[in-house]
Amino acid sequence: MIFKVRLALVALIVLVMFVLHNSFWLWDLDSRVPLLFDFMPFAFSFYVGYAVLAVIAMKVIIAIAWPEPPADLFQQAGEKEPVEK
Amino acid sequence: MITTLGIIIIVLYFSVLIGIGIYGARVSLKTREDYFLAGRGLGSIAVFMALFASNITAFTIIGHAGFSYEVGYGAYGYVIGWSIFITPFTFYLVGYRSWLLGKRYGYATQPQVFGGIFNSKLVALIFLVLLLYYTLPYLVVSIIGGSLAFTTISDGAVPYWISSLVIICISLIYTIPAGLRGTVWTDIFQGTLFLAVAVLLLGAVAQALGGFSAVTERIVEANPAMLQRGLSEQIAPINWFSFSFINSIAVIVFPQMFTRILAARQPGNLKRVSLYYPLAMAGIFAVSTLLGVWGSAAVPGLTGKDADNIVPLLIHRFLSPTWMILGLLVILAVVKSSIDSQLLSFTHLVTDDLLPRLKRISSSQAVLWGRILLVIFAIAAYFIALVRPAAILSIAAFAFSGFSVMLPVMIGALYWPRANKYGACAALVFPAIMLHLWYLGVLPEWTTFGFMPVFPAFILAIVTLIAVSYATAPPPPEQREKTFGIFDRVFKYEEPEAGETARVKSR
Repeated sequence: MIFKVRLALVALIVLVMFVLHNSFWLWDLDSRVPLLFDFMPFAFSFYVGYAVLAVIAMKVIIAIAWPEPPADLFQQAGEKEPVEK
Repeated sequence: MITTLGIIIIVLYFSVLIGIGIYGARVSLKTREDYFLAGRGLGSIAVFMALFASNITAFTIIGHAGFSYEVGYGAYGYVIGWSIFITPFTFYLVGYRSWLLGKRYGYATQPQVFGGIFNSKLVALIFLVLLLYYTLPYLVVSIIGGSLAFTTISDGAVPYWISSLVIICISLIYTIPAGLRGTVWTDIFQGTLFLAVAVLLLGAVAQALGGFSAVTERIVEANPAMLQRGLSEQIAPINWFSFSFINSIAVIVFPQMFTRILAARQPGNLKRVSLYYPLAMAGIFAVSTLLGVWGSAAVPGLTGKDADNIVPLLIHRFLSPTWMILGLLVILAVVKSSIDSQLLSFTHLVTDDLLPRLKRISSSQAVLWGRILLVIFAIAAYFIALVRPAAILSIAAFAFSGFSVMLPVMIGALYWPRANKYGACAALVFPAIMLHLWYLGVLPEWTTFGFMPVFPAFILAIVTLIAVSYATAPPPPEQREKTFGIFDRVFKYEEPEAGETARVKSR
């Protein structure tokens, strides 16, 4: 899979998560969905699920678009350059 | 009344902090990188607790509970919902690429990273000025908020000026000798303490109110509006949408957060932190939300600022005095873990990015200067927190927004080779000016089209960066290669695009 496709997949994941967070059409369910474990209303339990989804989303992003640097990257000629100050 | 158990807890707590300061001073090296970046050697737990504890303030346990008291369960998604995902995502989006450059070129702060990418002293200077400008009020407000909370939870026994003094002095005990290493070690201790006590507190309050389901039933019967997001004006959809652009995306721009990312030992540390972070933030804000909403049933009738006292009130009315001591320690822990990191990063920026413009200083002199400046800034912050000047407080009100609108330049610098220093300067300054005009009421409200000012300012930053970069000369190839050559090697290393195979393999 080329890098641009990976980046597009990451963008899609971010978009889905953003839409889910701003899913105002689901707010009607706040008064209709029964309490989860007898104490979590939908407005609350939705974000408990969202947190689990966020971990899965980050897992996927790490797997497809977060490579390790090559071993010699930090041992190259010139080493540390003077920093901009 | 303070019990014997309470005194033992307090003595133990302070002993651990002082012990960390003494031990940290013994193992720290007198180099700039060791003092301000812990030698770029932080492991996963250290980075995670450093980021988590630095980002938890008095608002988390006091302010958010008060907000939940008024708004209901919807406060949870409004305040922390988008952050749960996007904050750890920015650790990848901005954090990892910055870490790569920091490791390769020795960069330690945002002015160095982004001044380096654009090869521009002016970009570095604008970053420095804006970060100091927004961090100081943020620091002062953290001290004010923490001291007020400390005074409230002690039921007025500890006056405000002593609360501030105690909070600042304890922060300095371990920060001055041990630098970042000292603050990170205390973050691990205090973050663990904070998480454990918060969960225990929730269980104790639930038990005192008759159990999780019993207290929820009371809310459903007495005030069902607390369950419905659509019934609260404060979290109306347009506010909900706009708020996505404030606290969640600002986190990676905070200098104390950015520096701690650069201090990670290896990429695996950042990856693991991105997985721990959503659950930890969701967990701690869940506790705060539930305490606030339950409080609306247990202690009804509070309005405005009084609602912010709901957690201390719940402890006072329903729990034993030992819980008050634990509550005080939690407040101390959350306030200090954010204040020490803000003080240190403020000092780091001045020592590493401002002083070298004025005089040449060696690495060990930088450590000495850092320690001296820590004390000076702490004293200054203390007196500002006592006086509470209106100008500082009004800047603090939009400091988060100010940090947020710097993000487009950071992303542009790391992802768009065509971005240049002119675009970066304009995209940093222009939205910052607009933000001031909106928040200080110079421009009429309709010019934000109903959104919070941060959203149009954020869009302006993107448009300005693109328009000015295209209107001016592109960066020279060698400058682009310096940054994007590194990224190409890392991100396109395994599976190079067609036509690039030979180039990548030859490296």
